[in-house]
Amino acid sequence: MGEEILEFLILGLVLGGIYALFAVGLTLIFGVLDIINVAHGEFFAIGGYAIYIAMVVFKLPPAAGLVMATVAAFLVGLAVYPLLLAPLKKRLGRRAPGPLFLVLTLGLSALMQNSMLAAAGGEYLKVPPAIKGGLDLSFTYISNQRLLIVAVASLSLAALFLFLRFHRQGMAIRAVAQNPAAAQSVGIPLGRIFTLTVGLGCALAGLAGGLIAPLFSVYPAVGFTLTIKAFAITILGGMGNLVGALVASLIIATVEAMSVLVIPSEWQNAIAFGTMILVLLVRPSGLFGKKQP
Amino acid sequence: MSRPVRTLAIIALAFAGLAAPLVWSHPFVLHIAVQALIWALFAASWDLLSGYTGQVSFGHAGFFSIGAYTAAISTKLLGFSSWLGMTAALLLCGLVGLCVGFPALRLRGHYLALVTLGFGEIVQLVAQNWGALTGGPFGMHDYGTFTGLPSDPLAQRQAAYLIVAAISLVGLAILLYVTRRTTAGPAFRAIREDQVLAASLGIDTTFFKLLAFTLSAGFAGLAGALYAYYIQLVSPTIGSSAQSALVIGMAVFGGIGTIWGPFLGAILLFSITESLRFIGVVYNLIVVGAVMIVFVIFIPRGLAGIRLRRRGRQQRADRQAVDAAS
Repeated sequence: MGEEILEFLILGLVLGGIYALFAVGLTLIFGVLDIINVAHGEFFAIGGYAIYIAMVVFKLPPAAGLVMATVAAFLVGLAVYPLLLAPLKKRLGRRAPGPLFLVLTLGLSALMQNSMLAAAGGEYLKVPPAIKGGLDLSFTYISNQRLLIVAVASLSLAALFLFLRFHRQGMAIRAVAQNPAAAQSVGIPLGRIFTLTVGLGCALAGLAGGLIAPLFSVYPAVGFTLTIKAFAITILGGMGNLVGALVASLIIATVEAMSVLVIPSEWQNAIAFGTMILVLLVRPSGLFGKKQP
Repeated sequence: MSRPVRTLAIIALAFAGLAAPLVWSHPFVLHIAVQALIWALFAASWDLLSGYTGQVSFGHAGFFSIGAYTAAISTKLLGFSSWLGMTAALLLCGLVGLCVGFPALRLRGHYLALVTLGFGEIVQLVAQNWGALTGGPFGMHDYGTFTGLPSDPLAQRQAAYLIVAAISLVGLAILLYVTRRTTAGPAFRAIREDQVLAASLGIDTTFFKLLAFTLSAGFAGLAGALYAYYIQLVSPTIGSSAQSALVIGMAVFGGIGTIWGPFLGAILLFSITESLRFIGVVYNLIVVGAVMIVFVIFIPRGLAGIRLRRRGRQQRADRQAVDAAS
């Protein structure tokens, strides 16, 4: 029993790395722009397709594939703010947006998902693992791909936090998150920061998609369930709270992995949704969030 | 045009539009017309809660799905006629809407949208995994269509069309009546514009929000029941988030917050995208996504708003004429 628990704990850690990359990007965008990106899962899928194209079609090395996955999602993400969000913001002016941004990104999600379906077809594409082999512990076997996921996820999240803490642009992002008007008055170009933030958040989703592609397959709707799970994670961690999102990712992933011991695996997905509803009803500000007005 | 003349013209136009599929009774035309009307009722029910009362639901397909399953189960396992099945779907979904509405009272904006999204996903999971009741991933079939349809295939389709048209129009009329002719309408709008202000003016926001949830969920469920009896197959995918996204897209296309806008928008958009199936199956959802994006950014009041803008222009012209005369 003890070894079984440890095995699922490791599984949870691997899954948690993916969730964390994805949810931190989502919550970063929310924290800075106050917009929930419903199309986040589609950037995850873009990452998957990019690594498929790089590794299977062009036979590039896996590292190049991962870079391509990140860069592709980053570039598409860069276009989102200037082309979609800024025009709506401009038209709304000072009026309350209500659900309009949600509807907008939902439309983007439908558009991207079905464009990928039209372009690539609905098949489940297989991607070879970036590194082969694995680590043989006495009670379980961990493939190197899983170790790679944990390593890359921790490194890139560390890099993101360092960037936000010490880099000029990163500090500007945090300033805008705290108070857009004040940030603008000290000369921070809001539009550029918003563009960069959406790009960064989407790049993280693309990286996650590229990393997990060898374990899942790649198909157009691959990211949608993950998007909804990431909503649960961001709510659990407190909306806009990056560290909260990281911790909540690990919690949800571990609980999901462990739940197989207790409940049938078909119901695994219900955990995240149930948690989300429960947290919103009991403590809407999340585990680590500030009390809401 | 004076008001009664315009009303008559609209009624005549509506009747002509409704009669068209009966005159041109090609099976494909009828098939699209029936489904378009089902979607129209669904979109109008979404609009009552989300557009008119401002409580945005991203999981409305969950109610639709519960309604469809209620109809299928009550006919297959309990032997209900389709009329009883539809009533059951309407009542049960209203009840479910009330139950979802209660906890959702505390939530606003983003949070409500996310909770309802989670609700829709849970409904889909239950439909998929509670095999004994719902038939699992393959869904339910073999429970029959509307009660008392003629056996001739063409007459059967025409009769089904008439039933669906009558029920969804009555549904639309009830929703319009509630929002235009009762005190609930202004209360809904007040909640949408400013909940705190509405409460301070003595409007019982709890009651009216729950009313909106109940009505909206009930009619979404009724649309689901119509779907179940017409298509004669319900599967978990009818409760997917993609369906919720589709209905939101239709409402945005028609003009949210007007009830009749989403009704007409759904008919138009559904007919357009189904006709696009000739080009390719997947392109129709690309169109829906593009429509959502373009309309939200550039035409936020949808097709219904185009009429309103013309009226505004006319009012301005009148005012100028008055100014010039004085």
